[in-house]
Amino acid sequence: MWSYLGRRLIQVPLVLLVVSLMTFLITRATPGDPVQIMLGMQTSPEAATAMRKEFNLDRPVYEQYGLWIAKVVTGDLGRSMRLNDRVTSLIAERLPISLQLAAAGMLFALLVSIPLGVIAALRRNSWIDYLCTGYTVLGFAVPNFGLALILIYVFSIQLDWLPITGIGSSEAIAGGPWKHYSPFIIPAVALGTLQTAMLTRLLRSSMIDILSQDYMRTARAKGLLPWNIVVVHALKNAMIPFVTMAAIQFGYMIGVQVTIEYIFAVPGMGSAVLNAVVNRDFPVIQGFTLVIAVFFLLTNIAADMLYALLDPRIRY
Amino acid sequence: MASTPALPFHFRSSLVLAARQFPRNRAATVGFVILLAICLAAAFAPWVAPYDPIQIKLSMKLKPPSLEHLMGTDHFGRDIFSRMLYGGRTSLSVGLLVVGFAFILGVPLGLASGYFGGKVDNFMMRLVDAFLTFPPLLLAVALVGLLGPDIQNVMLALGLVQAPILARMVRGSTLAVREDVYVTAARALGASPVRIVLSHLLRNMVSPIVVQLTVVFSAAVVAEASLSFLGFGTQPPEPSWGRDMSEARRFLSDAPWMFMAPTSIIAVCVLSINFMGDGLRDALDPRAWRTRRSVGTDA
Repeated sequence: MWSYLGRRLIQVPLVLLVVSLMTFLITRATPGDPVQIMLGMQTSPEAATAMRKEFNLDRPVYEQYGLWIAKVVTGDLGRSMRLNDRVTSLIAERLPISLQLAAAGMLFALLVSIPLGVIAALRRNSWIDYLCTGYTVLGFAVPNFGLALILIYVFSIQLDWLPITGIGSSEAIAGGPWKHYSPFIIPAVALGTLQTAMLTRLLRSSMIDILSQDYMRTARAKGLLPWNIVVVHALKNAMIPFVTMAAIQFGYMIGVQVTIEYIFAVPGMGSAVLNAVVNRDFPVIQGFTLVIAVFFLLTNIAADMLYALLDPRIRY
Repeated sequence: MASTPALPFHFRSSLVLAARQFPRNRAATVGFVILLAICLAAAFAPWVAPYDPIQIKLSMKLKPPSLEHLMGTDHFGRDIFSRMLYGGRTSLSVGLLVVGFAFILGVPLGLASGYFGGKVDNFMMRLVDAFLTFPPLLLAVALVGLLGPDIQNVMLALGLVQAPILARMVRGSTLAVREDVYVTAARALGASPVRIVLSHLLRNMVSPIVVQLTVVFSAAVVAEASLSFLGFGTQPPEPSWGRDMSEARRFLSDAPWMFMAPTSIIAVCVLSINFMGDGLRDALDPRAWRTRRSVGTDA
């Protein structure tokens, strides 16, 4: 297993190389000149040339790429063309916020899907099973930004229970745990509902599958407590595909956040990429896509590792 | 066997059987009918829509749903029902075109990758890996943002996002089917690679491909709405489901019907497509048929 992990980790830089090359080619091949967008139309040719020189844009694409890669290896992602900040410090600012939001969304998904999936499997064709089916079907169908608007309307405007902005703002961080975490609730529910639907459906079907196995009958015949049978014998096995799926989905969540960040004015990774794309801020686009790709690759590897850890039958 | 037809002779009859099987799944039938109704209403929007979707009438602004305005009016007094019908034209045609694009790009790539294997396969799958490392929506946002917010670019970007997913799936199915005995038999009989791919491999992958295409369709409808919502798709004043939801954010408390109409229409569309996909999966897979019938009676 450790050698498998090693092999997987060796592949990461290779995939990243392809990813960064693709980002480079796409940004360079598409219309829109970052210098012109930055300096405006009535700029002097000298200023434009100076800026092009500063960001190596006057060189051929392969040279630009080589210079960029050489710096990336040393941990330097360059400077933003627009904000005059280091890309690494921008990432350090925004990645924690995105991670917190993704974690909150995943927490919601786990808190709902585990009990709902288990109970639906135990009480098949009961009202709670139908509730579970209805929830999963709707969870797949309603887009997350639509759900976000519904939640804002109900819980923030009509009931006035929850705030909708304030993630990452200084007064929210200073104002105690409720002030800090309450702005996360609505975005997290909107973000995590699709994952909740997927995970609930998965857990329900694998629980149903396991409950009909022979060893369940044996466990019951031995006179084990129902609680023990469900949790130790059934749920533990049903969790194997569930955990893998949850890990993979978590890897996706940072990128899915764009719409949610847009609605709730969250200063996260997605909105940074959005702004960078609009402004043709090449160093920021390159740096952020690289980080998002790394995160995605690592969660995927973690998912495979968890799979092997949980299921002793799987060997790599 | 000198003059064999281009397709195995059971092909047409098995499609007929699948078509007979489909209505047995009630949810799928309902989904199909609703989707068809929405598509027709959008296609014939100029005749169906009661009002002009971009005609501003400030005296009628922010009116709740009534008999006069089925879904109410927006902040410019425009009829939301009419806007939804016209907006559907963009969303659904983008969805269909993305399906076509993903099919034309993804299926041949996947087939070639799976059939030839080796270096071709390795190269293409690394490329697919690189595409799949980006979260799909973010990739689409980046592509559209860089190419310029335009509905053709939206389509192109979504197609480029979906094609690798389809290619990977087709490759997987090809690998599974390639080793089947009838493929070896066909090769032994001297069939050309083109013939093997078209009439043996592809024929046995119709079910997963069609099901995946319904997934692509619903994903494309949602993605188009997301892009328009972020301001990267249809530009105002043209009606669009996603764009109108973005506008509705400013009137959440005054006019909740403004965001409810597009949200529910997108949800109903996706639901219908998903149900239809489930039905197609069952109808196209003979092993899942609810009653057995003798094959080839009307060939």
